[in-house]
Amino acid sequence: MSENKKSAWLRFLEFVDAPKRRNVSIPVLAVLLSLIAMCIFLLLLGKDPLLAMSSFLKGCGFLPKGSYAGGKGMITDLMSFLDVLAPMLLASLGVVVAMKAGLFNIGIAGQMLASGYIATVVIGYSGLGAAAAKPLVILTGIVVGGLMGALVGFLKYRFNIHEVVSTIMINYIVSYVTGFCINTYYADMISRSSKVCSSASRLTITGVPFMGYSLDLPMGIVIALLMVFVVKYMLEKTVLGFEIRCVGANNLCSRYIGINVGRNVVTAMAFSGVLAGLAGVTYYLGYYNTIIPKDLASMGYDSIAVALLGNNSPIGTIFASILITIFQKGNVYMSSQVEVPREIASVITGILLLFSACGAFIWDYVRRRREHLEESYAESLVRTARDPSDSEPPPDVPAEGKGAAK
Amino acid sequence: MAEEYIVEMKHITKRFPGVVANDDVSVSIKKGEIYALLGENGAGKSTLMSMLFGMYEPDEGEIYVRGERVHMSSSSDAAALNIGMVHQHFKLVSNYTVAENIVLGIEPKKKLAGFLPAVDIKTANKRISELSERYGLKVDPTQKIEDVNVSVQQRVEILKMLYRDAEILIFDEPTAILTPQEIEYLLEIMQELRAGGKTIILITHKLEEIKKIADRCAILCRGKLISVLDVAATTTREMANLMVGRDVLVDIKKSEPHFGDTVLEVRDLSVRNADKFEVVKHVSFGVRAGEVFAIAGVSGNGQVELADAIAGLDRAANGSITLSGVDITHYNIRKRTLEGISYIPEDRHNVGLILDFDLKDNLSLKTYHQEPFSHKGILDGEEIEKYSDSLIDKYDIRSGQRGRTILRSMSGGNQQKVIVAREIELGNPLMIFVQPTRGLDIGAIENIHKHILAQRDAGKAILLISLELDEVMELADTIGVIYNGELLKIADASELTPQEVGKYMMGVKS
Repeated sequence: MSENKKSAWLRFLEFVDAPKRRNVSIPVLAVLLSLIAMCIFLLLLGKDPLLAMSSFLKGCGFLPKGSYAGGKGMITDLMSFLDVLAPMLLASLGVVVAMKAGLFNIGIAGQMLASGYIATVVIGYSGLGAAAAKPLVILTGIVVGGLMGALVGFLKYRFNIHEVVSTIMINYIVSYVTGFCINTYYADMISRSSKVCSSASRLTITGVPFMGYSLDLPMGIVIALLMVFVVKYMLEKTVLGFEIRCVGANNLCSRYIGINVGRNVVTAMAFSGVLAGLAGVTYYLGYYNTIIPKDLASMGYDSIAVALLGNNSPIGTIFASILITIFQKGNVYMSSQVEVPREIASVITGILLLFSACGAFIWDYVRRRREHLEESYAESLVRTARDPSDSEPPPDVPAEGKGAAK
Repeated sequence: MAEEYIVEMKHITKRFPGVVANDDVSVSIKKGEIYALLGENGAGKSTLMSMLFGMYEPDEGEIYVRGERVHMSSSSDAAALNIGMVHQHFKLVSNYTVAENIVLGIEPKKKLAGFLPAVDIKTANKRISELSERYGLKVDPTQKIEDVNVSVQQRVEILKMLYRDAEILIFDEPTAILTPQEIEYLLEIMQELRAGGKTIILITHKLEEIKKIADRCAILCRGKLISVLDVAATTTREMANLMVGRDVLVDIKKSEPHFGDTVLEVRDLSVRNADKFEVVKHVSFGVRAGEVFAIAGVSGNGQVELADAIAGLDRAANGSITLSGVDITHYNIRKRTLEGISYIPEDRHNVGLILDFDLKDNLSLKTYHQEPFSHKGILDGEEIEKYSDSLIDKYDIRSGQRGRTILRSMSGGNQQKVIVAREIELGNPLMIFVQPTRGLDIGAIENIHKHILAQRDAGKAILLISLELDEVMELADTIGVIYNGELLKIADASELTPQEVGKYMMGVKS
């Protein structure tokens, strides 16, 4: 009788793998696994993992630190967190839109840099007033990013160049061309970075006094949250979004029902580029106010992991990007509190990214283990049913068929 | 008895989900004979031979090779028993030379400078030249595969088997891709191989080839062995009768036809495939309102390309397509749909449906961009849901969560109902059905057939393309038989017997 009970492990796997829950439970499991891995890693180094975790949160303004410098507090940390969250969220949305059309946009970093660079040079150095400059910066981000994305889509549709190849190459081209221009024309001789853009053009309003604090207000997060809903609406409620999803789900069928597949590839890639462009201006003319030459933002690549962790859904990316950004933003404070080198903090962030990108693998593993255990469970039922000494009738015979079919 | 037969397959049964591919089939093949397996598509020929080649294991039955019981679980087991197979689709590395492809995996080796292992391509070239001379298989071992035509590639496949000392050679529809001259040459090679003591099993549905070279011929039909014939003592006509003559599957009463105006007019239409090969050759026919025009033919004779060209998925290389008097030859797919073509494609999983989408989205795949399902580019979810609910009831589509059911989780019959419902509801004057009942069970087949006839009686023009002769005979008012891209015969269904149609399907003129 006791052997007929489902093991706790099987029940756990069935819980995780329930079709209704799967979209959330698998990413959550991925995050939990990465946190466990992080704890083991820190324990091996002889550090306190709980202190590390609370330090991540403190560094991002979710928990109060022990002491603050003048004019600083939890709220300033939180604002700064939101400031860097905005481009991360926008970049991830860019990945999501492309992925819905079955395209893999690895060019987010290049599209960010191109739009950030052009906005800096054209608007950031122009001396325009804030009322004109800020909308123009946003517009530049949209236009430049959109054109960059459309180019990738066009190359794929017209010349059959795979988007992974073209985006990686374009990343390098953008990185070197802008690097050359910054070094030649716009370099700040002291920082070796580009000259800072005007504060009128910057999408982060700096030094706003609020209850004794000096706050940096991020406009980017408003844009980013707005775009989450724009993307969600576009994908789910519009004809364009429906066609993009068709193309991503089944190319042949899309052609058969009369969708112009090439045009949709270009459109989806352009939209993805627009989001990357917005990420670029909120990053280079928001969170930062300068561009380091020949340096592609690692955020452009991290956003791929965020999109995967967020299960490719616009709402999911909000949670995923908050989580990843906590670890990236909070790792400075964490390394000082736990007294580990910053490199170790980067390793921990890397572990998290690695696990989050492995959602598909984790699901596969869970599914196979569950099926295997269900099968042996069904067999045990059959065994007891055949054993005349055990008078207990099998409680759930149909499970046999389920297992045997596998 | 053990020595006389080189291969014996006894009481073989092989089931796939929903189908019995082989049902208690027993064949015995003598050493040094050419043994033909004849049957329609899906008759179970390839499945039977796949088991002899180790690709599947039989569910029931035994296989004996050279008198000994064998169990094969992979093609390397078959190779160890000197069994080789030339597949319909060649398995060659296109940027390697002929010789490199042949020796791949068992390359003759030499030592460079006394110790560096290397492939001895010169020895390989020499051995291959010897082999090709012995059997009259003309190849140049140093040519690259991408530079030679399919006929030479096939010879390379044959040499690959011979190089591995295969004694039993299985050919899976080897002439399907060859020109008449090349076929002639291949048949000669086979005879040469037989003279060299090899045993040949030929899978085919072409009667003339069998008549020309085979010693004996087994006829399969729907997974069952119908008969084994001595080819020399049998006429092609007898073989054709045995191959197609059988009971009608379901009996549906067909009302008298009432033909209207010509809806679809195809004139001198040619279609080329991706390799620029002409697969539909100057075809002309017309379909009237209230008529089921069925195109019968063995698979791969250009019927799918013909349907695709009419629906707009393939481009016409020549000729014109007219729909209700409008020349649509240069219209794109959507424009043709709006002009009045409904199309039920052959491949329902990859073309007809999006399996990861739910039922309601799949039912609106062709109308989502129109009123009332969207207004100025914004989808109307309520209308889509309402529409799907009405179709689910009207067409009795069985699904777990109605419109929200993911298509992948539904049965094949219900998936096909989704396509049929969607296409009928477009209300178009022309409906193209390609293989509408493939892989369905009898109940589902009957349901689809009823829909087809109801549409015909409602005055629609129906173009039915089917590989099932039963289906064609049962539904058609007019039959066109396609062979090698040409319409060999167009006639009233009442004027043709299944045997005659079967004969034309095999390419036998008059």
